[in-house]
Amino acid sequence: MSWVQARLLAKGLSRGWGGICRTGLSEAPVAQVSLRAPRGLHCSAVTHKDDTWLIPQPSEPQKPNKVPVVHEELFGSSANGERDKKSFTHAVRSFGEHNVRKRGHVDFIYLALRKMPEFGVERDLSVYNLLLDVFPKEVFRPRNFIQRIFVHYPRQQECGLAVLDQMERHGVMPDRETEFLLIQIFGRHSYPMLKFLRMKLWLTRFKNINPYPVPRDLPQDPLDLAKLSLRHMEPDLSAKVTVYQMSLPSDSTGIDPIQPHIVGIQSPDQQAALARHNPSKPVFVEGPFPLWLRNKCVYYHILRADLPSPEEEKVEEIPEEWNLYYPMQLDLEYSRSGWDNYEFDVDKVTEGPVFAMCMAGAHDQATLVKWIQGLQETNPTLAQVPVIFRLARSTGELLTISRQEEQSPPHSPPKGQEEDEAFQAQQQQGQS
Amino acid sequence: MSGLLEEKGVFPFPEVSQDELNEINQFVGPLERFFTEEVDSRKIDQEGKIPVDTLEKLKSLGLFGIQVPEEYGGLGLSNTMYARLGEIISMDCSITVTLAAHQAIGLKGIILVGTEEQKAKYLPKLASGEHIAAFCLTEPASGSDAASIQTRAMLSEDKKYFVLNGSKVWITNGGLASIFTVFAKTQVVDSDGSIKDKITAFIVERDFGGITNGKPEEKLGIRGSNTCEVHFENTRVPVENVLGEVGGGFKVAMNILNSGRFSMGSAVSGMLKKLIELTAEYACTRKQFNRNLSEFGLIQEKFVLMAQKAYVMESMAYLTAGMLDQPGFPDCSIEAAMVKVFSSEAAWQCVSEALQILGGSGYMKDYPYERMLRDARILLIFEGTNEILRLFIALTGLQHAGRILTSRIKELKRGNVTTVLETIGRRLRDSLSRTVDLGLTSKPGVVHPSLGDSANKLEENVYYFGRTVETLLLRFGKTIVEEQLVLKRVANILINLYAMTAVLSRASRSIRTGLPNHDHEVMLANMFCVEAYYQNLFSLSQLDKYSPENLDEQVKKVSQQILEKRAYICAHPLDRTS
Repeated sequence: MSWVQARLLAKGLSRGWGGICRTGLSEAPVAQVSLRAPRGLHCSAVTHKDDTWLIPQPSEPQKPNKVPVVHEELFGSSANGERDKKSFTHAVRSFGEHNVRKRGHVDFIYLALRKMPEFGVERDLSVYNLLLDVFPKEVFRPRNFIQRIFVHYPRQQECGLAVLDQMERHGVMPDRETEFLLIQIFGRHSYPMLKFLRMKLWLTRFKNINPYPVPRDLPQDPLDLAKLSLRHMEPDLSAKVTVYQMSLPSDSTGIDPIQPHIVGIQSPDQQAALARHNPSKPVFVEGPFPLWLRNKCVYYHILRADLPSPEEEKVEEIPEEWNLYYPMQLDLEYSRSGWDNYEFDVDKVTEGPVFAMCMAGAHDQATLVKWIQGLQETNPTLAQVPVIFRLARSTGELLTISRQEEQSPPHSPPKGQEEDEAFQAQQQQGQS
Repeated sequence: MSGLLEEKGVFPFPEVSQDELNEINQFVGPLERFFTEEVDSRKIDQEGKIPVDTLEKLKSLGLFGIQVPEEYGGLGLSNTMYARLGEIISMDCSITVTLAAHQAIGLKGIILVGTEEQKAKYLPKLASGEHIAAFCLTEPASGSDAASIQTRAMLSEDKKYFVLNGSKVWITNGGLASIFTVFAKTQVVDSDGSIKDKITAFIVERDFGGITNGKPEEKLGIRGSNTCEVHFENTRVPVENVLGEVGGGFKVAMNILNSGRFSMGSAVSGMLKKLIELTAEYACTRKQFNRNLSEFGLIQEKFVLMAQKAYVMESMAYLTAGMLDQPGFPDCSIEAAMVKVFSSEAAWQCVSEALQILGGSGYMKDYPYERMLRDARILLIFEGTNEILRLFIALTGLQHAGRILTSRIKELKRGNVTTVLETIGRRLRDSLSRTVDLGLTSKPGVVHPSLGDSANKLEENVYYFGRTVETLLLRFGKTIVEEQLVLKRVANILINLYAMTAVLSRASRSIRTGLPNHDHEVMLANMFCVEAYYQNLFSLSQLDKYSPENLDEQVKKVSQQILEKRAYICAHPLDRTS
């Protein structure tokens, strides 16, 4: 057994034992350690990634006879409703003022990490450095080689790792101050320092790894957000984004005409495909489909049609006299050999053409009808094509007005046909 | 293309009888004097138009109807003579283009497919230069695509007139011309009763009314020629003015375009010869580091390049002209296209090198080099862009080869055992031995022994090219139309092979007849053949499947990524991530 394996075993054992001892002794419900048997030697040594281990769930309802979380009041006592960086830093500093010896700093740091999103400071590097500053310096550094073999002060090292984890999760790049703090606190040969080095390498490498990057600060205005996400989805750069309806400003008084915004996108190729579409075949408005942009979920609808069946596929007529300069078609009888045929690809499933996409504030038929009407201006042939609305039942995530949720039509085709007939009647009325 | 050389057409090099030669030299003399003394190319380039008296003089020399038959008032010269005159006219490119637009495409339609009445009505005035002709085919939305022509010609109710509506763009001589060959879409009832839109060619006179010009366009080169838009508004064209038959305009357009190309070879070679004279004058007199420029190797290489290209161009052009002059209207469209591609690219390269020899002074407007460079740029674009012509050469050749090889390929595909074994045996033999003998140098060979090596190289190339063509047809079949990178290589090989043939043929004739400086010609010919041989070998190796020289896959991938983002996507060299 090599010394690495011995070290891992020791670590696992110490953690397991420590966990058991702790839950037995203290009553603080904070570090709810899930009792795990020490891991075998053949598992990965990096078990720090376990979320439930490091940041325990605060959502379990507090049992009434348990003591409330220590230091919670530090975070709640700031000016009411004002949760920002200033109050957060104030709270962190006041921890240090209250106890000189920094008792319970580990729990405090865990609590602070949990509170960060509420205060909106999770992307701020200086706040993390401040939080690391809470650790007493020089105490946890290993001083001899026995301390170096075994994880010295494992609780604190895990806490440091938790801070760095949260930084990684929010994409904050640590800097030299962090490095200095970590060296001061844990020493150069500690797990937080190792993680810091790894972060420095991999975070820089992975910064540009997304070929379709989404900007850090998503626009708050739903119209802009819709435009951004539609452009994000559409690969064709010639596609045009059209705003069919703007939502009324929120401070409009009087009656409540809910006018959700409708933004649509269509590329010239899609327009041409729609013009070519056979009017006897219906097109479907499907949705809403979720699209996640960082931590926001937006919903979009598509206008699509089924694949034309093979018999009906019109063989594209190649004009006989097409190119003045060279023959576009060779008069040979044999076609491509099998060895050079790259047409069939197992992974690519052909699905029907998609003609346009839209994002709307509301997900009911009335809004989408307005979208279709707006589309008809640029695609006149759409007027002849039957449009069937296949809207999914709203799920809990949708934040639409409850009254319209109830009205969202069910999935069954006969109802859809009725609606589509009603829609066609509406169109004819509109056109006559 | 099937791996065989047909010797009868190309060997011996076509000759012209002494009488004809004397006749043409009578033209050549005064014409050369005129162009050197009275034509001020610099002024034409600056002002952007050809002075009227120059045009009058050209008309009086009969240059507006070189190929018009004598009974209609033209000079009635053959293609070879036309090429010879083209060499001199090319001293001023704007005049060349004006004349070419007038006769090579403008009135060629009438000569090729016109009825007797049309010829008698229009050709005399056109040949004398009283009326100038223009060729109206290109529209804003359709360059090579004939099916997207928007100009329409509707038959009137009394079936006596066509009413023409539409606009054409980039028409040379558009402002000066009074007779236009216009291509428009008409409705034609097919044999099975369906109504289709087909192209028809019309002879339209400016007097028919409704014809307006745009203003002359400002161009990079050939500034003296008049290029403008032409708009037709309810122009009434009588039914008698239809060229060919109604609905047959496509064939007419193709024939006209294919027939005018070969003269570019001789025109460019004339320009290059003049250029060599001027540049050599400079190189031999200018001294740097106590030596003449002409003693430096790099300069010498440039001269050799120019001389070589000029030689090859001349050979190809006159070989094609000679073939065209054979009785029976042979179809030399591929050869003409090959001449055009080779000479336009050689022109651009050589004029650039000549300018380079002059260094800074070549760049100044005081010398003619920058004007010639700008004029030479259009050669790669008009009369069919070089890319399109390469596709044409390759596809027509493959079509021809495909028909010959079709039986063999069908059997191979069906898996006929004897054919398969035969093919495998042949491949093995090919890979083992490299010497190929197609009979060019055996006794009595058509090629002189001093060109024997080059002839062997040519034979080898031809044979292996034939093998490769067979493989390509097997691999791609009909879909080879879409593999443009493959077709480009095939076309390059074909052009090189034709050039080698022309050069060998002409050099052999020079030696055998004892023309002056034939040893110089032999050296040029051998040099060119060696270069072309190695270029062909490289192209052939690129045509193999899975060959490391073949970068087609990578080209497709990279171009797809660039065109998806429509920009250059690499990070800036100075970018950092932290």
